[in-house]
Amino acid sequence: MSMLGMLATTKLGEATSGGGFWMPESASTVAPEIDGVFYFINNINYFFFALCVAILIWFAIRYHAKPSEHATFTTDAPTHNTPLELTWTAIPLLLVGVIFWLGMDGFLELSEAPDDSYEVQVTAQKWSWTFQHPDFGVTEAAELTVPLGRPVRLIMTSSDVLHSLFVPAFRVKNDVVPGRYTSLWFEATKPGQYRLYCAEYCGKDHSKMLAVVNVLPEDEFQTRLGKLAREYEDIADQDLPEYAMVRLYNRCASCHSLDGKSGTGPSFKGLWDRTKSGSTVFTDGSTLKDYMGPGGEFEVPENYIRDSILNPRHYIVQNYAATMPTFKGQLKERQIDAMVLMLKNLDRLIDEQGNPIENPDLSGADVSTGAQK
Amino acid sequence: MTIDRPTLANDNYLTHTRGFLSWILTLDHKRIGIMYLVSVLTCFLLGGLFALLVRTQLLVPEGLIMDQDQYNQAFTLHGGIMVFLVIIPGIPAALGNFVLPIMLGAKDVAFPRLNLFSYWLWIVGAVFLVISIFAGLDTGWTFYTPYSIDDNSAMGGVIPAVTGAFLLGFASIFTGMNFIVTIHRLRPDGMTWFRMPLFLWSLYATAVIQVLATPVLGITLALLAVERAFGIGIFNPALGGDPVLFQHFFWFYSHPAVYIMILPAMGIISEVIAVHSHRHIFGYSFIAWSSIAIAIFSFLVWGHHMFTSGQSPLMNVVFSFITFSVAIPSAVKVFNWLATMYKGAISWNTTMLYGMGFIVLFLIGGLTGLYLGTIATDIYLHDTYFVVAHFHYTMMGSALIGFICGLHHWWPKMTGKMFNETAGRTAFVLFFIGYNLTFFTQFMLGSHGAPRRYATYPADAGFQTYQIISTIGSYLMAISFFMMAAYFLASCFGGRRAAANPWGGRSLEWQCSSPPPFDNFSEQPAVGDCYDFSVLRWDEATGGYVWREDVAHPGHDAEEVAHT
Ligand code: HEC
Ligand SMILES: [Cu+2]
Ligand SMILES: [Cu+2]
Repeated sequence: MSMLGMLATTKLGEATSGGGFWMPESASTVAPEIDGVFYFINNINYFFFALCVAILIWFAIRYHAKPSEHATFTTDAPTHNTPLELTWTAIPLLLVGVIFWLGMDGFLELSEAPDDSYEVQVTAQKWSWTFQHPDFGVTEAAELTVPLGRPVRLIMTSSDVLHSLFVPAFRVKNDVVPGRYTSLWFEATKPGQYRLYCAEYCGKDHSKMLAVVNVLPEDEFQTRLGKLAREYEDIADQDLPEYAMVRLYNRCASCHSLDGKSGTGPSFKGLWDRTKSGSTVFTDGSTLKDYMGPGGEFEVPENYIRDSILNPRHYIVQNYAATMPTFKGQLKERQIDAMVLMLKNLDRLIDEQGNPIENPDLSGADVSTGAQK
Repeated sequence: MTIDRPTLANDNYLTHTRGFLSWILTLDHKRIGIMYLVSVLTCFLLGGLFALLVRTQLLVPEGLIMDQDQYNQAFTLHGGIMVFLVIIPGIPAALGNFVLPIMLGAKDVAFPRLNLFSYWLWIVGAVFLVISIFAGLDTGWTFYTPYSIDDNSAMGGVIPAVTGAFLLGFASIFTGMNFIVTIHRLRPDGMTWFRMPLFLWSLYATAVIQVLATPVLGITLALLAVERAFGIGIFNPALGGDPVLFQHFFWFYSHPAVYIMILPAMGIISEVIAVHSHRHIFGYSFIAWSSIAIAIFSFLVWGHHMFTSGQSPLMNVVFSFITFSVAIPSAVKVFNWLATMYKGAISWNTTMLYGMGFIVLFLIGGLTGLYLGTIATDIYLHDTYFVVAHFHYTMMGSALIGFICGLHHWWPKMTGKMFNETAGRTAFVLFFIGYNLTFFTQFMLGSHGAPRRYATYPADAGFQTYQIISTIGSYLMAISFFMMAAYFLASCFGGRRAAANPWGGRSLEWQCSSPPPFDNFSEQPAVGDCYDFSVLRWDEATGGYVWREDVAHPGHDAEEVAHT
């Protein structure tokens, strides 16, 4: 069973090499144009900076005088010169006019996505990204797979605060705003893996809100997404816990640790035992036991886990804030099952320190997901 | 009574009355200026410590000394303190308060009581901000919603912090009103608008922005506090609000605010370059009008902070266009300063070094603004270190250096003591090197795609070298500031006595003794062309400049005043 092998921990070799003194390697159709504007401004700036600093230094040296030399001061230097001043008002005006025009031109191209773009829906939440491919019914996290040489349009929204999606190699960025959709587009020109950052400050783990854009040639792209689309359907029940650990846990990782340390949310380690025994205490002082058992709200403990994932604000564990986003609509039924099974069999999936085990032994694991759904 | 009074020659504003109460309840603009100065410098120390924490953290990719939460607080407090407690009040409230009435030949500002009130209001505001340090504040100085209004996100310090900023805003409005009225009403005979020292023009333009823009910040922060406390939906989309609206409100104030910071510094540089080049300022009216132009345009460009916020493309284009028009008056000033040095007699003293340093740093700050006003490149550079570097070049390299330059310029006037020039020049060189190491590398970081406000960064993205250089630079700067503190303090105790006019200035503050007497001038001084230095000569005996014997003194020549 080489589920984990498939994950092939991403190496960003290509995204870090290449590039010039100012701009890093570029890998999209708009990038050369933006770099062009950048270097155009650069040249104007080098010129004016050198000119002004040269004049400054020249005057400072040429006209340097000690106070003791101040018997008299020059009075023949002009105090103003209107034609000269108008000239040095007009020249910058002209230059910035040109810069403005170039910048606007480049921008208008950026703002209009081509009609035939491949669309991906992006949801940002503290502190991770979810990428949904409606064409394939596939949801990815931490990695966004896109086709090479085809315009891709990201339609983005946030489930909590402001974020901003930024892919330096493509020279694109746009804020991700709760309660509305924003979008950006790019067309990748080189296969490879590129860094994706959150660029708008969003709290504690803002600097950990990273992902990878994986650009694949069209045929590989189709194969890969096709595979991802069927993956969880085809997996044997027996392998679901490992599937969840490899594919789904990264969406919970920013808040739920595996090593017993509590973070934004309680650690997953020991969660199942606590749930099974009903000893979890909620903010209102009640315990899980009060709701469990035949006739109770949760007939079996599995249902409490399921409910926590779908309606996280329903019961709030004591000492934690109601910050967990709902995963309703983001995870398929079978994926939620997988999640439940992962928590249930966590001891087989991780080692003492809370690190996932490669090729865990799941023979004889309990893979029942509870009767009532 | 007359027995206790010190003789007029020894009496100055520092010795006029004594005791703690005589300071904290003083109505004297000079003492209020000094109290602002001490408070602002204290805050500068605090904000600087947070900056050093931030820089130290970033030495290694995984963060050296803080966890994420602590780092987020450190950069928030660094920004909040530096913006609201150091740069905004630095020049107008501290230096402006001291210098403005004297430059006008007046005994005080128009409303001395309001002046004292605004100082104490400022102190209360500052205390609130400091309280927020303990309550935890991690929103960034920008308080962006919905992060700042969500209890589950931002820490508890938001309400004290916005209360503090609200009060500071009012202190700033009162100071602005006071200055506007003072300049309108208390100009002496002979000082027409276009004979005012350029520093006064810049303070005037600043005051106008303060009075018009700050109320918007006040209201916005009040809405934020109300929303956070009572859950009224204004900015929170979960309650039907609009988070981007906050950004519009915020930048409607905060863009003009960057001119509240930079305009007075430009005014100081106009004075310093002219005085220390001993050469008539070049293009007076272009400089004066450019201050006014900047003040007006500054209200029309806020949207350039929001090119990636999802606002409509048309708005982006319009804001980009107007933004470029602000570049022009700034460029004009630089050319005029350079032209002022032409054929001058330029002193290379500490003050002038800061003046020339300002021109270099402001050039870099201004020119890099072009990449950010240009939409296509801004989309890439926004929210990266490039922006951080750009606004440090303008706000620290320019606004704060303008303040420090002015502090050196007027230090002999304020304290009556000369500071050690060698120490001053050494500290400048150290500062200038450290500064560019710190911030130029951040342009490189940003152009290579490093996002800002990151407590940790990917180890293999090639950022670390830049970060290390940047941090080393910040340590050099810290050393230079401690040197500065040392030679300033030393001058108070052991410094040489300052002459009335140690640099050769012609504006009125150089006509009264150093330090000035309690009521500045015993009679209204005569006003001439405040940039005509040809009437002065160096006097070795007093270590200052005096009126040339072969030129008639306007005070003794009523004609000259009358026909101007
Ligand atoms: C933004 C942070 C965050 C993310 C992401 C997150 N959670 Fe949570 N979760 C919490 C917090 C906080 C709590 C405790 C408060 C509560 O009960 O809602 C919690 C509670 C839970 C509980 C109940 C814990 C208990 O002790 O009873 C479960 C089960 C759970 N989360 C599962 C998940 C799963 C599965 C994922 C990923 C698919 C996930 N969470 C993602 C923050 C998060
Ligand atoms: Cu973020
Ligand atoms: Cu702005």
